[in-house]
Order: sequence, then structure tokens, then C-alpha cells
Amino acid sequence: MSEAVLNNIKTRRVVREMTDEPVQREQIEAILEAARWAPSGGNLRPNRYIVLEDAETRRLIRLVSPGMFQRAPVLILVCTNWQVAAEHHLPATDRALLIDIGTAGQTMMLAAHALGLASGPVTSFSKEAVKIILNLPETYSPEMFICIGHRAETAGAGMRAWKKISWRDLTHWERFK
Amino acid sequence: MSENWVLKEDEAVELLALLITSARIQLDEPAHYGPLRLLTATERLSGMIRERSSDKSRAFLQENIERVPEMRMAMSDVESYTAALDERCRAVAACLLRHSAQAEGES
Repeated sequence: MSEAVLNNIKTRRVVREMTDEPVQREQIEAILEAARWAPSGGNLRPNRYIVLEDAETRRLIRLVSPGMFQRAPVLILVCTNWQVAAEHHLPATDRALLIDIGTAGQTMMLAAHALGLASGPVTSFSKEAVKIILNLPETYSPEMFICIGHRAETAGAGMRAWKKISWRDLTHWERFK
Repeated sequence: MSENWVLKEDEAVELLALLITSARIQLDEPAHYGPLRLLTATERLSGMIRERSSDKSRAFLQENIERVPEMRMAMSDVESYTAALDERCRAVAACLLRHSAQAEGES
């Protein structure tokens, strides 16, 4: 197993302060390419990605996204395309749809980190307002923004852990007795 | 009481957007995120009015509100978080008293 991959996983952090230095187009495409390889329930790939670089659009999105502390030069919006879900008779409550959003988001953030970029997820936004601002198709629901940029020198260490944990605290071996 | 305009219409609308969207998303989020959203609005409002505020108010903002982002990350330490918010409440009360005294002096 590659030590570099494990190290990338362990050293990635959510970054909430970014500079306005632009992100190269090739880097954005590499992140999207990584997302394409994220695991997807039934390999159905109901996620769609919307890349936002335009400054005014990003400003408007931030205004309706109380959880978006970053002023990131690139926003990637992960959407669920409900048309795909309907074609495969997936109910709206199917957990695979939520899991797909998570795997795509994490894959993009790891890819960004591997490219030397900062990233952070944001789910605290008004879905209805985002739909209006982006003129989303009816079948798309906005689920999560991935903010991409360069870490600001002033960026803090991130949200403090509620308590120190190791993988052992999260794991139980075999059956419960 | 100062009658200077310190907030532009566009800024007020932006703050309104933050508050109304915060109200909506709070329905889906843990209760302790409520203070976080209010602090974010406080911080944004402070940033909007800082340049056009009186020296006295600007000093208050710099001393008490511009450190709000540091508090955001400390929610896991409820005791410190509560103490920091109490400190801001005392500071804002003192600021209100100063404004009130000035208004009375001018009337």
C-alpha cells in the first residue's frame, strides 16, 4: 500500500480561510476526474457537478450559504440528478444517494490535497436559494459545495475536536457480546 | 445618538439574506449551530459598518467582534464558548451605555 496515499488521507484538513489566488483549470479538471472514480451505489452515478469560478456567482452563493466561511476561488457543487434515480427506481429515501454525495466529496477533497490545494465542504446553505441563483434544472438538487483554493496563512487549525479519538475508539471487532 | 448612516442598502440586503437563510437551515441543523449563525451575522455586520463607524464604535468592533471567527472553532469547549459569549455581552452592554450617555449629553 502506498504510504503517500495514506499520508494524503491523514494530512487533509478542512480549510475555512483561503486566498483569492486562482486555481488552474487543469487542477479543477483533475479533481473532477477523481470524483468520476468515486464509488457509487450500483455504479449508477447520480451525482452531477457544477463548477463555479465567476466571482459574482460565487459572491451570491456565499450570501445564501451561512456555513460558507471561505471565499474560495472555485466552488464545486455536488448535485443529485433525480432523473437518474427515477430511471433506476431508487426511492428518494435510498441511502445510497447520500453516500454517493459523501464519497464524491471526500474523493475531491483528497484529490485537491494531493494537488497542494485547500478544500472544505459546505452543506449549510439554502437549497431553494441556490436553485434560483444557478437556475438549476428541476431534476437537480444541490447537496454539497466543495470549496477549492489555496490555504491562507491566517487560516486556523480548523474546528477543535470534541474529544481526542483514535480509530480504536470508533471500532468494534466481531460480534457484540 | 449618532445618526450617521453606516450601512449601505446592498449590504443590508446581504445581511438579510444571511439571516433568512440561516433561519431556514437552522431547522435542519443541531441547536448549538444557532449561536454560530448569529455570530457569523455579527461578524459580517461588523465588517460592513466598520469603516463608516465612529472611532468609538470602531474600537468596540475591533476589540470585541473581529475575534468572533476564533470563537467559531471553539464550540466543542462549551464552557469557554459560553464564557466568551458572556464577555461579548458585557462588552456590548458597556458600548450601549456609552452610546446612551452620549445621546443624553447631546439632548
